[in-house]
Amino acid sequence: MEQDYRQRLAEIDAAVARARLDPVMLVERAAALLAGRVGCRVDETHAYLLRRAAKQGRAVAEVAGEVLATVESRAGGSHGGDLALDELVRPHPQPAPRRRPRRSTGAAGAGAWGAMMQQVFDGLPGNHLAMLPVRNDDGGEIVDFRIVAVSPETVDFSGRAAGQMVGLTMTQSYPALPDELWQAWRGAVADGQPREVGPMPYTGAGDRSPADVVISARIQPVGPGLMATWVRHDEQTRLAERIAQIERLGNLGWGEADLVSGHNTWSQELYRIYERDPALGPLTGEEQDALLLAEDEPVRRQAAEAFGRGETMDLTYRIRIGGRIKHLRTVLDAVRDVHGRPIKFYGITQDLTAQETNRARLTEVEALLREHQRELAAEHALTAQLQQIVLPVPAEPFDLPHLRVAVRYLPAEEASRVGGDWFHADTTDDGSVVLAVGDVAGHGIHAATVMAQLRHLLAGLTVTATSDPAELLDHLNRLLYRVGMTATAVVARYEPHTRVIRWAQAGHPAPLHTRAGTTARLQRPRGVLLGALPTARYDTATLPLHPGDLLLFYTDGLIERRHGPADAGLAEVIAALNDISTSGSHEPLANLLARLRRANADDDTCILAVRHHRFPGPAQPRQDGHGHA
Amino acid sequence: MEELMQALSINREGKALVLSLHGEVDFLNAASVTEAIAAALAQARPARVRVDLSEVTFLDSSGIGVLVSAMRAATDASASFQVERPDAAILDQLNGVGLTEAFGLAGAQVSTPVEEPVDRAPAVGEDR
Repeated sequence: MEQDYRQRLAEIDAAVARARLDPVMLVERAAALLAGRVGCRVDETHAYLLRRAAKQGRAVAEVAGEVLATVESRAGGSHGGDLALDELVRPHPQPAPRRRPRRSTGAAGAGAWGAMMQQVFDGLPGNHLAMLPVRNDDGGEIVDFRIVAVSPETVDFSGRAAGQMVGLTMTQSYPALPDELWQAWRGAVADGQPREVGPMPYTGAGDRSPADVVISARIQPVGPGLMATWVRHDEQTRLAERIAQIERLGNLGWGEADLVSGHNTWSQELYRIYERDPALGPLTGEEQDALLLAEDEPVRRQAAEAFGRGETMDLTYRIRIGGRIKHLRTVLDAVRDVHGRPIKFYGITQDLTAQETNRARLTEVEALLREHQRELAAEHALTAQLQQIVLPVPAEPFDLPHLRVAVRYLPAEEASRVGGDWFHADTTDDGSVVLAVGDVAGHGIHAATVMAQLRHLLAGLTVTATSDPAELLDHLNRLLYRVGMTATAVVARYEPHTRVIRWAQAGHPAPLHTRAGTTARLQRPRGVLLGALPTARYDTATLPLHPGDLLLFYTDGLIERRHGPADAGLAEVIAALNDISTSGSHEPLANLLARLRRANADDDTCILAVRHHRFPGPAQPRQDGHGHA
Repeated sequence: MEELMQALSINREGKALVLSLHGEVDFLNAASVTEAIAAALAQARPARVRVDLSEVTFLDSSGIGVLVSAMRAATDASASFQVERPDAAILDQLNGVGLTEAFGLAGAQVSTPVEEPVDRAPAVGEDR
């Protein structure tokens, strides 16, 4: 019992260890853990892991493993290593005591720092910029700052993309920056303390710059330089932030409608969602409403009403485009005048079709799985019934001339694997006894059906045609070859007047023979698996039985494990046979069967144990067990 | 389908069709592998069929059934049939079901880096 328990424990441990190493599990766990730490959605951290792995040209699971190791082993402290991860895990650094700013910045070190910061920004939401101080010739006063890294989605006041900004200096590019900002930057470099500046007005210089914007900035000293985070407090900012969000979330498009000028604008994504050529311009509200499925009209009307009361509209609905249904979610916000009347609409629309399709597919798969399970259960029940009908296993040992026989059948634990093990033990017309055990390849109803055919054929043949083991196997082989199945079997005939067993086998494990406390595997005569060849030759071997001899016929489930030595359980079986043959027990066969356990719970196991009577002959009193009739 | 691709790869080498089995061939994938082999034979009509077992780690009775079906399909197509490079445990198993001769493995060599003839299947872990 205890051994079983220990083994089960070991199996559970192994399963847990395997699950831990499962790459999918690793990624899921890392994504979940990060999401928890950062406070964002799991699919965002998941996307982050994918991006990071792609960028580094490594497997996602590897990156995930690293993330897990880092996050799990760290109690909040940052010890060098992965800065990007650090920042992602704690996106808002505490203004508590920070690293001392370093005065000197070697060129090589600065380049590496810029690259590192870029890595940070690539994984961090928002608009950030990293810059290094530029000092005058004597290395004292800070005269400028050079941009070394920029968040990828950032677009500056003059419309420059992130890539174009790197390498520029502040005085060149943004000559009109307020003094307040310069002071804050210099101060942060000097004392290593973070600062917040603004909101303050900024007037652009370039012709593409907006006339006036209001900005505020968060300044964070990092290593030799500064990390600056911008927030713009104007309408454009709202739009820019929306774009950034759109890019992050994916499958999103935005649109705006200016009610005053009557001008509508759509983003590229929105055209894509509506499968509309941008050259044609945005659809009107009426045209959009016309695509809506009629069933969703009440939902839309309700949302429109709420919107009219000044609430933000959040609506999930379906549209029909080109004969296909799309699932969309739109969040609509408005700029309102002092009376609460909208003057401008902003809408973000997300295409949920993929998610909806996935959900529908999952539901389908689940239904299929349930159906499959029902079928499996039905098949198992039917297989078990069939086995009961064609293979009634006697509960008690029973007697045949000179022999006492006991049978045990252990169906596979898993329903789908119940299969085709069978036995036969009966007298024939010529007074001999035919004993057989077989194993049809495969599992389930088909194997059980073939098992039934084999068993009936054998029983029929022993009565009408032959009791010779080799001839019987020859017949079984022909039957199996015709139905295109394979099976193994051992067939033995005992002749009471000679007290000799003659036997043959077809690719089947050799029976075990026990005499006076010693067990041996019988040497197998030649014989190929049943059903493999159209005609096969089966040789026979003989064994004279002595009083008290034990013979054990079995199928491979008794001794074989799926992984490990082919006859892992053999030693245990032999020990049981040896003990019982010398125990002097009155019920040796019952004791033996009680002691034998199969090695493999995945497989059927059939055991046929035979004991030769100590004093053979019909007139002799029985010594073996109770007075069985 | 993915399981099948992992369990079987098929290559043409002159007039021979080489079927390489991989990993575990058991009742879970036996039917699909058998089907794929039959289809490959019907299409290629080779003069010889060789089954490479060097990358097979486990065969159950259904897996052996796959080999038997391949042999039947080859015989039906008048192609010769040969099983090659089983490891010691699998050779032992094929011996157990009496198929080494039919599979052209009588007196077979075990697929180990140093190949030497053996009279019988060596036990796993036996010094060689």
